[in-house]
Order: sequence, then structure tokens, then C-alpha cells
Amino acid sequence: MTAIAVGSASAQRSALARARAWIANPWGRARFLVVVSWAYAISSILPVIIAIQFSFNSGRSVSAWQGFSLSKWYWGDPTNSVWHDSTLQNALLQSMKLAGLDMAIATPLGVLLALGLARWRGYGSGASNFLMLFPLVTPEIVMGVSLYLVFLYLFTFIHPSTLAQVLGHVTFSLSYVVVIIRGRLFSIGRQYEEAAADLGATPSETLRLVLLPLLMPAIFSSLMIVFAISIDDFVISQWLSCGGACDTIPIRIYSATRGAPLPSVNALAAIMVYFTLAALVSAYLLFRYLTRGERPAAGAHGATSMVGDMGAF
Amino acid sequence: MATRANGDVELQDLIKAFGPVRAVDNINLHIPAGEFFSLLGSSGCGKTTTLRMIAGFEQPTHGKILLDGVDMTETPPHKRHVNTVFQSYALFPHLHVFDNVAFGLRRAKVEASEVKRRVGEALELVQLTGFEKRKPVQMSGGQQQRVALARALVLKPAVLLLDEPLGALDAKLRKQLQIELKTLQEQVGITFIYVTHDQEEALTMSDRIAVMSHGKVEQVAPPKQMYEEPATVFVADFLGVSNLMPAEASGDDGRGRCRVKLDSFDLLAGRGDSSASGATKVTIRPERVRLEAHGSTGENRMPAMVERWVYLGNSVQLIVRLATGQVIQALIQNSGDEIPFVQGTPVQVHFPVEALRVLIDTEASAPPIKGAAAKGAAA
Repeated sequence: MTAIAVGSASAQRSALARARAWIANPWGRARFLVVVSWAYAISSILPVIIAIQFSFNSGRSVSAWQGFSLSKWYWGDPTNSVWHDSTLQNALLQSMKLAGLDMAIATPLGVLLALGLARWRGYGSGASNFLMLFPLVTPEIVMGVSLYLVFLYLFTFIHPSTLAQVLGHVTFSLSYVVVIIRGRLFSIGRQYEEAAADLGATPSETLRLVLLPLLMPAIFSSLMIVFAISIDDFVISQWLSCGGACDTIPIRIYSATRGAPLPSVNALAAIMVYFTLAALVSAYLLFRYLTRGERPAAGAHGATSMVGDMGAF
Repeated sequence: MATRANGDVELQDLIKAFGPVRAVDNINLHIPAGEFFSLLGSSGCGKTTTLRMIAGFEQPTHGKILLDGVDMTETPPHKRHVNTVFQSYALFPHLHVFDNVAFGLRRAKVEASEVKRRVGEALELVQLTGFEKRKPVQMSGGQQQRVALARALVLKPAVLLLDEPLGALDAKLRKQLQIELKTLQEQVGITFIYVTHDQEEALTMSDRIAVMSHGKVEQVAPPKQMYEEPATVFVADFLGVSNLMPAEASGDDGRGRCRVKLDSFDLLAGRGDSSASGATKVTIRPERVRLEAHGSTGENRMPAMVERWVYLGNSVQLIVRLATGQVIQALIQNSGDEIPFVQGTPVQVHFPVEALRVLIDTEASAPPIKGAAAKGAAA
């Protein structure tokens, strides 16, 4: 009897201990980690899904589900849908324009800046490296106001306009690009540049034939990040805005929310998501196609490929 | 088109300082064309820095580097007629083997058909024909190393610089490639400057070796001379087992041999500077140490005890404690005969006079003897 009682008590305790071990064993399967990761992923995506869901709402509410309507807010409604509301379309176009220009200008400039900073070994290199990080840590409202003042008092020939917005976006996007590219450069090391120089390549040939191809994943990441922060930007775009014609999607959504928001803004945001998703997927597929030779064939015990196993980074 | 250089390299008063630290401290070397020359030393001795200065990746703080008499210290690396095989191979991961090997040729604007022919030749030389379309990540370490070699050799440089190229390979592959590299060098006839910390590698492959320590060259000599006649204590200790023993030297005995005293035992050293006196070190290679039955008489003999018996397969290593307390190693080749010395038994150790070498201890406070240094530099 006593033996059985003791047996069950120890069985209970060991059950608890076993359960804890099952979850917390660092060498076992990562169950706790998986649960946390999934919870995080779902909690991040859930708001986006709900927003997109309401773009298919058949009523005019953005918070009460009134039935499913596929096209009402996209092209169905004759006055308020995205297809028919020119202000929404302009906002979409303006956001795309800014993001496109930002990517096209900030990324090449950022790559060159990163290369220069990484290779600069003289006086001033420390200071430049430090100064370059400032836009990353400055609060956006401060950046926005400062840029406005710069165009108001210093470069008075530039009025608030698309041009001013582009310049503002490029200014703070540069830091992001430099940080990404510099990190990648650091992990590549100098060996490939030295090898290229050793084989007779001039510095510009080295840049074109060796560095840029190796930096492609990081450049791709930079493009994506610049796109994301440009689309997302509210403060700077608003401070440098010329009025209705320069409104971007965040500005329009904000204005709409002040009044009576319609699911058409959800539709607008959803269009952005579809577009971004399509761009990302096609870019990823292109990347996989271009680097198909760099993944080790099954069974071959090759050395790690820096490009291959670092994915998009 | 410049005339094909011969590959004669000269380093004059070369110094490289990183702040207050001198990584390379006043090196003078002359490497004639076609030689397989090794820079040997432990980590941090300055051998890689020297190589990088010859390649052009580091600028010397002082001094000159001459290739066939032409000063190339100021020339950027992409204009020098030297090529490097890096320790990490540095194969361009985004290009396949053909493009990797053709890289240098295309920079030199060689026309396409010629490029194809020469790449084919180079790959045949390193036995990698058929690998043209592979990417570096799809190949083993040994194969990658050969591609790196082909990439450098296809340009027919005057000098080939190799920075520990076999470091990342397993022992068996390393031995095989050592022989291949040596054969290749003899075949192609280019000057090879080879950096390594593996003394066996250096001894196997080189025509001459320069042992470096703390940025300075300790001795330059062919392998046999370097091993059998080390000029300094460092060199003796670095190559093989040295059995260094502190001794009191008291000059020449009249017949060209140095009198040395190990504790209370009087010995004669037939090698080294016979006129040496004061605190010195004597060294003898383990394979030259003779073990005889306890109680045998004659010059250069002293009693000892066998402490340990290590079977190495092709030889037997005996760790022996001398009567002076010193522990030395003796090596006896396994000739099939029974070795009569058992662990724990007393023996008589015999240091043949012509195998015992006296060295001034430059690592102690005693100043280096001019004779030994001159011998080392002239070699």
C-alpha cells in the first residue's frame, strides 16, 4: 500500500517534471519555440488579414461585417470605389512614384556610400561612419520638421512638392541601405577584391564583376526595405506635401479616418499588399532561378556558399 | 607586350609597422628565378605580411621589393606580374570554374579562342578537365584548391605566391598535394614563394627555407642544411625535435671541437662554433642519439634511464632521462630487430661527437656570435 502510494506520488511528480522537460528541453524538438513563433507570426498577420477582409465588406462600415462583396469597393461602387475615386487613385500613384524614385536613387547612392565608408581608412572615417547613422535614430517628426525648415529657409528654390518628398525620402533611406550593404561587405571580407586585383582587374572592374554580383542579395534586401519604409512613411511625406496632389496613401487614409472612413481605404491598402506580395514573390523566384548553380547538389560535400546559404541577406 | 619576366625576387630592408609594432622587421632576401622558396614560422612571425607585401596588398613602411631588378614597391597589385593562391582559395562563388580560371585572361583582353585553349591547358595541368561548368560550392576542398592554382598559373606569372594553401585539407590529401605542387613547380619552372607554419611541408617541398620569428629572418638555408646545421636555438627547436640541453662551453679543444660541460659530464661538440664559451645550448637530433648497454665506455657517453617507450609504427621513440636530470628523445628505426631497451631500465647514452651541435642561446642575454649569423645569411 505504502509502496503504491509512494509510487503514484513519484509518478505524479515525474509527470510534471516530464511535461516540463518535454517543453523546455533545449536538445529536443523546439516545441516552445515553435509555439511562440507561430503565435507571433499569427498576431502580426491577423490585423492585415482583418483589414483586407473588410475591403470585401458589402456595407459601408469598417468595423462591422455586413456580408461579402467581392468588387464593391474595388471597382463596383460608382463614386467611392478605388476604380472610381480619383483621390484614392492619385494617392496610390503618388505612393508608388515616391517609392519607385526612392528605390532608384537611394539604393545606388547607398551602395556607393557603403563601399566608400567600408574602405576608407584615413582621418574622418570614424566620424563619417557615425554621422551616417543619425537619420536612423532621429525621431521621424524631428526629421520631418527639419527637412521642412531646410526647404523653407535654405534651399528655398525647392517648394513642398513631389521633388521635396523624394529628397526627404532619399535622405533617410540612405542610412538603411548603408547599414545593410556595409554588413554584407564586412562578412564578404576583402579576399575576393584582393583575388580580383591579383588577377589583373582594375578597381572598377573589381567593383563591376566581383563586388556587385556578390552584393546582389543585399542590394535586393535594400530595395525591399527602401520600398517598405517609403510606402509606410507618413510624417515626412506630410510635412513636405504640396496639398491634395502630393498626398500619399498613409496621408489619405489618415484624412479619411478623421472623417467617416469607408472600406474603400481598406481596398486601397489591400491593393498595396497584393502588389507588394506579387513583387516579392516574383523577385524571390527570379533570385532562386539566377542562383540555381550555387546551391550544393545533393550528396556533394562542397564548402558553404556565402551567397547561397545567406538567402536574401 | 612586356618581355616575360624570369621571376627573380629581391627584398631590400623591408619593414612593415602597424603603429609601434613591427610585423616585418628589416628583411633582406634574394630569391633566384625558378626556386621553390618557403617562408616558415609560427603564427604572427610576419611571413604572411611579407607575402602580402610582395603581392601588393600591403604597402611596406620602408624598403624595396624588386622583381627582375625592377622596383615594384609602388606598383598596384593588379599591375604586378605575380599571382597569389590564397589560404581560403577566394574562388569567385558566383562564377563557375571556367569563368574563374578565365578571369585573369579576360582582364588582359586575351581573345576568346585563346582563352579557351589556355583554360583547358591549365585545368589539364591540375587534373580537373571536365569540371568547367561546376560552381566552387559544388566541389571538395582539394578540387577548389586546384582551381585556385589553375587560376593563378594560367596567367603564366613570373612568381607564384602561395599562402598556406594546404592548411584546410586533411592530412592524406595534404601529402598528396605537396608532391603534386612540387612536381608542378618543377614542370612549369616558375618561382614559388610558399608560406607555411608546417615544418614538414617546408622540408619536403622547398629548395630553400627562410625561418622567421618576430618579423626577422632567423636563417635561410636548403632543407638539409637547415635541419642538420641550425644556426640558432630557435631554428633548432622549430624544426623537428631538438633535444636542447643547457651547457657550459669552454672553447676549442685543439682539434676543432668545442668542449662543453653538462653538469659534471664533459662532452665534445663537433658541430657549431668550436670557439664558443660561456652559457650555451647543445642540440642533437633524436635519430642520431645512440643507446648502448649500461656501463659502456668511451667519449660523449653518460648514464641514463629509459622513462617511456613509444611505438610509432616505423620507428620507436624512447624518452630517456639523463643523469643530469634532462629528458631527451631518441628515435630508433624499426629494422625488424628486437630493441633491447625496456621501460625503466638504465642505459648508456652516446652522443656521437659529429652529431652534437653547440649553439649560442640568442634567446638568453648572451649576444649572438657573429660567426653563426654570417653563416646563416650567406646560405
